[in-house]
Amino acid sequence: MSGIVVVLEERDGRVGRISWEALAAAQHLGKQTGEPVTAVAIGANTEAQANEAAAKSVAAVIRVEHDLLTRYTPDGFTVALQQLIEKESPSYVVFPHTYQVRDYAPALAARIGQVLVSDVVAIADGPVFTRQLLQGRLTGTYRHSGKGPCFVSVQAGAFRADAVEAGTAQISTFPPAIEPAQIRTKPGEPFRGSAQTVDLGSAPLIVSVGRGIKEADNLPIVQELAAALGAELAASRPICDNGWLPMERQVGSSGQTVSPKLYLAVGISGAIQHLVGMKGSQCIVAINKDAEAPIFEVADYGIVGDLFEVVPALTEAVKSAK
Amino acid sequence: MILFPLTLAEPQQFSIWEKLLFAALAVTSGALFWRRFGPILERILKSKKDPGFHLAPIGRRVWDFFSEVLCQSKVIQQRPLPGLAHAFVFWGFCAFALVTLNHAAVGFGIGFLSPNGWVGRFYFYFAAAFAVTCAIGILGLFIRRFLVRPRWLGQKLSYESGFIAFLIFALMATYLAAFFTTDGTVAARALWWMHTLALLVFLPLIPHTKHLHLVLSPVTVFLSRDGFSQIPPLAGDEDFGLVAGQDLTQLVSLQAYSCVECGRCTEHCPANNTGKILNPKEIILGVRAYLNDIGPRTEEPLLGKYNSQEAVFQCTTCGACEFQCPVGIEHLPILIGLRRGAVNTGTWEDDYGAKLFNGLERGSNALGLSAAERDKFIQREQFPIFDGTQEYCLWLGCMGGYDPKGREIVAAFARVMNFLGTSYGVLRKEKCTGDPVRRLGNDLVFQQLAESNLEMLAQSKVKKIVTICPHCVRTIQEDWKEYGTPPAIEHHSEFMARYVDRLPEQNQGQEKIVFHDPCYLGRYRNVYDEPRAVAATAGEVIDPPRARERSFCCGAGGGLAFLGEETGERVSHVRAQELVATGASTVGTACPFCNTMFRDALASTDKPAMQLLDIAQLVARSLPSNEVPSKNT
Amino acid sequence: MKIIVAIKQVPERDAQVRIDSAGKWIEESDIQYALNESDAYALEEALQLKEKHGGEVIALSAGPERVGTTIREALAKGADRAIHVDATDLGSRDALGVARLLAEAIKPESPDLVLTGLQSDDLGLGQTGVILAELLELPHASLILHVEKTDAGLTVKRELESGWFQNIELPLPAVLTIQSGGNKLRYATLMGIKRAKTKEMRRLTAAELGAATTPIAVLESVGLPHKQRSTQILPGTPKEAAAALVEKLKFEARVL
Repeated sequence: MSGIVVVLEERDGRVGRISWEALAAAQHLGKQTGEPVTAVAIGANTEAQANEAAAKSVAAVIRVEHDLLTRYTPDGFTVALQQLIEKESPSYVVFPHTYQVRDYAPALAARIGQVLVSDVVAIADGPVFTRQLLQGRLTGTYRHSGKGPCFVSVQAGAFRADAVEAGTAQISTFPPAIEPAQIRTKPGEPFRGSAQTVDLGSAPLIVSVGRGIKEADNLPIVQELAAALGAELAASRPICDNGWLPMERQVGSSGQTVSPKLYLAVGISGAIQHLVGMKGSQCIVAINKDAEAPIFEVADYGIVGDLFEVVPALTEAVKSAK
Repeated sequence: MILFPLTLAEPQQFSIWEKLLFAALAVTSGALFWRRFGPILERILKSKKDPGFHLAPIGRRVWDFFSEVLCQSKVIQQRPLPGLAHAFVFWGFCAFALVTLNHAAVGFGIGFLSPNGWVGRFYFYFAAAFAVTCAIGILGLFIRRFLVRPRWLGQKLSYESGFIAFLIFALMATYLAAFFTTDGTVAARALWWMHTLALLVFLPLIPHTKHLHLVLSPVTVFLSRDGFSQIPPLAGDEDFGLVAGQDLTQLVSLQAYSCVECGRCTEHCPANNTGKILNPKEIILGVRAYLNDIGPRTEEPLLGKYNSQEAVFQCTTCGACEFQCPVGIEHLPILIGLRRGAVNTGTWEDDYGAKLFNGLERGSNALGLSAAERDKFIQREQFPIFDGTQEYCLWLGCMGGYDPKGREIVAAFARVMNFLGTSYGVLRKEKCTGDPVRRLGNDLVFQQLAESNLEMLAQSKVKKIVTICPHCVRTIQEDWKEYGTPPAIEHHSEFMARYVDRLPEQNQGQEKIVFHDPCYLGRYRNVYDEPRAVAATAGEVIDPPRARERSFCCGAGGGLAFLGEETGERVSHVRAQELVATGASTVGTACPFCNTMFRDALASTDKPAMQLLDIAQLVARSLPSNEVPSKNT
Repeated sequence: MKIIVAIKQVPERDAQVRIDSAGKWIEESDIQYALNESDAYALEEALQLKEKHGGEVIALSAGPERVGTTIREALAKGADRAIHVDATDLGSRDALGVARLLAEAIKPESPDLVLTGLQSDDLGLGQTGVILAELLELPHASLILHVEKTDAGLTVKRELESGWFQNIELPLPAVLTIQSGGNKLRYATLMGIKRAKTKEMRRLTAAELGAATTPIAVLESVGLPHKQRSTQILPGTPKEAAAALVEKLKFEARVL
């Protein structure tokens, strides 16, 4: 039993960024333990992914391919990867902590009599795995004991995708044996959240505008920023009160509660009625000319300045970064 | 008798037929009265006993009766002209009691007041004076109702009120006319009979009309609960508030039948004045209609046909209705009782409400923010932590602990305390007092919050609390009593008012500060002068048109600050407009909820940049800015 | 439909946690507990399914005696009865060990549907439901926002990343882990709490359900995270600040 297997996840036919982060974690673990890293691409057609992975510093790349893996199902992935792991018998199996991994990796580990150490943010010598507890208020360190492979999933952003070392590796194919009857669930086509109505609640990026915009005629500069980011446009109450934006775009105690990855508040001072509606956002950016505005208290990043100068500059910066 | 040549004329003799007729009419009139009044009395008495009701202290009740009933203090104070007119009618009735008794006795030939004896003569003149004022009074009220027609009296003209006004006028007129005729004449006899008929028609009309208040309201005033907006405890495992007829208590039923439909409650209701469907008068009449149609001790829901749930949840609990009511109706225990019935049984469905309740079940504050935010604020302001050695526990409240504006107020007040050398500390484990859930009728969450806070305060050995929030003051001092003994608490206006002499006198030119009375400080706590005295150190304090007891709500109370958008006009906007119209340069507040409501509302007025400051900020702005927080002095 | 909802009691969101003297977990004596948030949504989903299709909702929770308050809350909100797996040693079990206890308690009930929350607010492992499915040999789906009963079984709406969703069909019996926010939570009422007193709460001990196995992934110690959130003000001209912000959002916050 040796080696580190990292299971890559496909995004639009390629290896997703968080999978590269998982590979970086696996390489890090490889350095600590001196064990070789094998990258695994799984699906019905994994050639592109496998080629991408083969250009990295890994010992080998394995394509786990089967027609029944065309679309992800927890049963299909569990059956296929169980066979691979039993064959390879690695010491470690590393996953990116994605929604998909959360759906099957715990079952896969349990099927082999193991437990997944999920959502790991750091790996120290030992190896000792660090996870967040109590929603980030504490950290906990975990150690794997007993026989059998150690299953680990790595939190997005914990390792740097650009830290993955380049190299070349051989690609091999592993055809798992899967019976159609083993797949008990039937997945449908992915779809976007209801497109017609504004669903700020599920929007990953939100640009929100407040009283600082002064007039309805000035709204286009914020709309351009939202378009450049691919973000939904939201507003504080006074904007919707004035009818400059529809009421369903209102964030706050009398509007919607949102928790996007990025909440960019433009010209919003941050009254409590507004704060309670967006405090759960992962990252908050505030642009306001008043350095004392309460919004800066909850913001991760702030720019103190005239929004009529900052916002167009930001729109340009976002466009050129893409 | 030169000075008083007129004598009250009486028919000297009645035939046996007349006597029999009079007796028959009197019995009929009495029977008709009882036929209606008996069942009403029965419904009141059959209602559930009031949990936690005590007759003691009797002194307070006697005083209320003297002041509100006999002196008509509230009737006159809150609507001087019609109030005075009403008082004259009332006093006229009182003076007439003896006259009426004698009048009836005369019919049986056993009159005890002789118009010629000096006692009788004096009393009849005395009563005549009241008859004149009473007649003028009722005429005035008639004109008001049928010609002026204020909208509080309802859209529909009440012809029965007109008829009763006519009867009262006729009683007075026939009495006075009898001075201008002589004993034993046909005219005297005719007047006697007219007076008698007016009386006998009037009596059975009393229980059929709003004039039932003649009989009931003195009792209602005497029996009213001790204290403003007193929410009764729930009794036993099956009491969830006012759910069905079986939950109506004797006091509620008595009050429902006492309503005189004057509409003062509605006139002052912020919800009704801004286009909501809530009409406090109709709520009370809804309960009355329920009692008439269905009766107490039934399982038919109270909300539905007779009262609307939507209306009940539009109440800001500002208490203007209860304060205004001249017949002792306590609207808030009824409105909140109906909310309790809906919330405690889960029939009220509201996304914002459910979010608030779930948030307070799980978390510590009504805003749903993380307690870590509060800790950060405490750290940044370097507030000392209460350890039992300081004099005061500075209670932050949800607004003071989390709201950016509320925090500024707390910080300002802390500077004032530092300046005065008062020792204080804040608590790390403070939770919401439960004010919004109490007013919304969620007894489960309120009990949890009250008990956990009481336990924490006892452990921390807190003796005295001071806070910037009138809602916290009220809830801790009065509402927590159901679950334990709260420490003494006062509002920061009361604290600062004791030290006005030591607060710096600000000479800021002619700064005019219009002070807005918070409902929970004013009507709920009777504190009006203290915040004005404090604000007066910073400028000239002026009152808006509706001030003190008649202050108009900011719209945040009763948990409504957490319930999303109002229908109709915003209460806060109406009030902000009124404050701006005073021409003051600054709005002075003494409640963080008012402050946050006006912050948004002022922006909608034509003076969006108007200064808005709490009284603590008004004081703190003149304090030296560099003084260090004193530690446990 | 007979539905079992596995719920967990966790420290209240605003509980002020202190690390215990051994540095292995938090001081449990001075904090208050509440129902785990996503479990509250699982319970809500179960109650709504029962209201629509009839059947029974059974609340299942493992933990020491204090868990009783959370179980009563579930009963107050409308669960018909409850099973309390009385165990004081959950801290020394890993996700598999806890799931084994729950699975043993579930098996004799043979439910049509088992629901759990997506993950707990304390340990945040997010695995119990999926492992339960494996141990019970049932199909499962995770991150579910909406459940629809069909003739063949269930159609569920699963959340994918970045605002995408997917419908999944699966037969019954099945296990679902419920994502927060799919439904509106009802609030607990005084009447519910009073009525809950008369509902059945069966107590099973961990020993009855099989001896503990040696844990594989062990929590060794707990500590405080290094950095607290603080605001970085980006200086410079609008252009410089904007460029700096994009850089930070891409590489530091990683939200772009």
